[in-house]
Amino acid sequence: MKSHSDPFLIMSIGSCVVVSLFILVPLIQMMITPSWELLTESIFDPDIQKAIWLSIYSSGLAAIISFIIGTPFAYLLARKSFFGKQFVEGIIDLPIMIPHPVIGIAILGIVGKDHWLGSLLHKLGVQMMGTVSGIVVVLTFVGMPFYINAVKNGFESIPVRLENVSRSLGASFSRTFFQITLPLAWRSIMVGIIMCSARAISEFGAIVVVAYHPMNAPVLIYERFTAFGLKYSQPIAVLLIFVCLILFIGLRLVSKKNSAL
Amino acid sequence: MKIYKNWVTILFALIVLTGISVSKVIAEPTGKLIIFHAGSLSVPFAAMEKHFESRYPKLDILREAGGSTKMARMISEIGKPADIMASADFKVIDKSLIPSHASWNIRFASNQLVLCYTANSQYASEINHTNWYKILARKGVIWGHSDPNLDPCGYRSLMVLQLAEKYYKSPGLYNQLIANRPQKNIRPKSVELIALLQTGNMDYAWEYLSVAIQHELKYVTLDDHINLGNYQLDSYYGQAQVTVTGKKPGTTLQRVGKSCTYGITLIKNAPNQEAAVSFLDYLLDPSGGLDILKQMGQPPFIPSRVPTQAMKEKLPTVLKERVIVKN
Repeated sequence: MKSHSDPFLIMSIGSCVVVSLFILVPLIQMMITPSWELLTESIFDPDIQKAIWLSIYSSGLAAIISFIIGTPFAYLLARKSFFGKQFVEGIIDLPIMIPHPVIGIAILGIVGKDHWLGSLLHKLGVQMMGTVSGIVVVLTFVGMPFYINAVKNGFESIPVRLENVSRSLGASFSRTFFQITLPLAWRSIMVGIIMCSARAISEFGAIVVVAYHPMNAPVLIYERFTAFGLKYSQPIAVLLIFVCLILFIGLRLVSKKNSAL
Repeated sequence: MKIYKNWVTILFALIVLTGISVSKVIAEPTGKLIIFHAGSLSVPFAAMEKHFESRYPKLDILREAGGSTKMARMISEIGKPADIMASADFKVIDKSLIPSHASWNIRFASNQLVLCYTANSQYASEINHTNWYKILARKGVIWGHSDPNLDPCGYRSLMVLQLAEKYYKSPGLYNQLIANRPQKNIRPKSVELIALLQTGNMDYAWEYLSVAIQHELKYVTLDDHINLGNYQLDSYYGQAQVTVTGKKPGTTLQRVGKSCTYGITLIKNAPNQEAAVSFLDYLLDPSGGLDILKQMGQPPFIPSRVPTQAMKEKLPTVLKERVIVKN
């Protein structure tokens, strides 16, 4: 009975209400502003469909790339301590701190013909400016830190002794990783994928520098806003929020289910 | 007698001093002054900000640059507070801000379009004012312009190409050039194209002369009949017409060629009206802001212009002396 009136508990509930309202009020206001007509018009607008789809699959690709190249790295960071480890961890966090347009400019700087890497890519016929490849590179750049950090924490929470037991029973290092560690870390990997693609789907500043066309959803929202105003940019935002909500709730449910197994 | 004289002098000095300090208190702008302006005005406005703030240390100028149409929308639709709006196309002020958000529009400077490149651009050693359109039509040359729907520099770039077709008497030139410019070479603002030039992602980009000078780019200047820089050729420029998006997705409207003329206005209910008028007075001063514009490749109108006597009447008193009525 006493615990119900504890001031800290009341404060916690109060802050829960404040934080929820802080996030929800502006979003709800935006979601209820567009008329039903405009919203349905937008659903069938091929440009909008294309942009939202591009946003989803480019963010998905960024998450898959992060999964493939980030997982072994996250494992290394979780398990080994080595000289300069903190420095390496600092490097991973850099994309979170750098202003987004700067990321775009930095990437353009190495993919142009003035840079050896860019001139090599041009010779191979790979173009980054204004292409889906460029978009995916940017999204991976901004999303990767979220993936690596989430998965590193996941690996750290798995007891080392389980791996040691596996190895003492004769399993190789890689077999232990794939059969013991990876399945146990599955939930944090899913969280990492969700975090990475959520970060990627919301990216605008770096994208608009590297690729204005083809337009993904945030760029289209910006373009519609500048060309036609608030009225015609809101419905796209509403649709994007709605689609993302379904996707991310779905992903969370999947990861929950897996962890229960 | 001597004491009496001294007293008079002191009294006189006191009166003068109080007079000066009072007038200084009234004249000295303080607080924040918010200026929205076209991206192509960023460099001269940054210099003006520095000058003006050093003159009035209690004033803090906050500038926000963007496509002029977008900046006007920020005021008219979002209701973002601003004191002054300067547009790269003076018509944007007429269309989106007058009469609800502004009541007058001063034309203060002009500009022209040039084709920018760097030493590393393809055919950089070959290009000049007679062969530029042949080079832009070559396969593999990457050139671009800003979005005609968002940035006046974008539709003006297209107008230049249309006028070139007429001037060089080369039918089909416009379509031939556009066919060699994939959509991905379009950017929201012309200033953004500079990063693409400087990183070797693009060979040529259409910019205003001022932007080319301020960013120390190489550029090709074009004949007055093409460059949209000479207002005496406005009727010739009128032959160029570009379709841009209208007020609603799916609708369109026509932009007709006209010389590049910058407009500036004071926003109604400006949060800091006094400082805004004082800044405008400085900007329109031939030895103040207009001189900075001149140095930075944006030929100013000295004096600046309003189209009608009626509009001149609406100006704040100090600004009336800075402008003439000229259409």
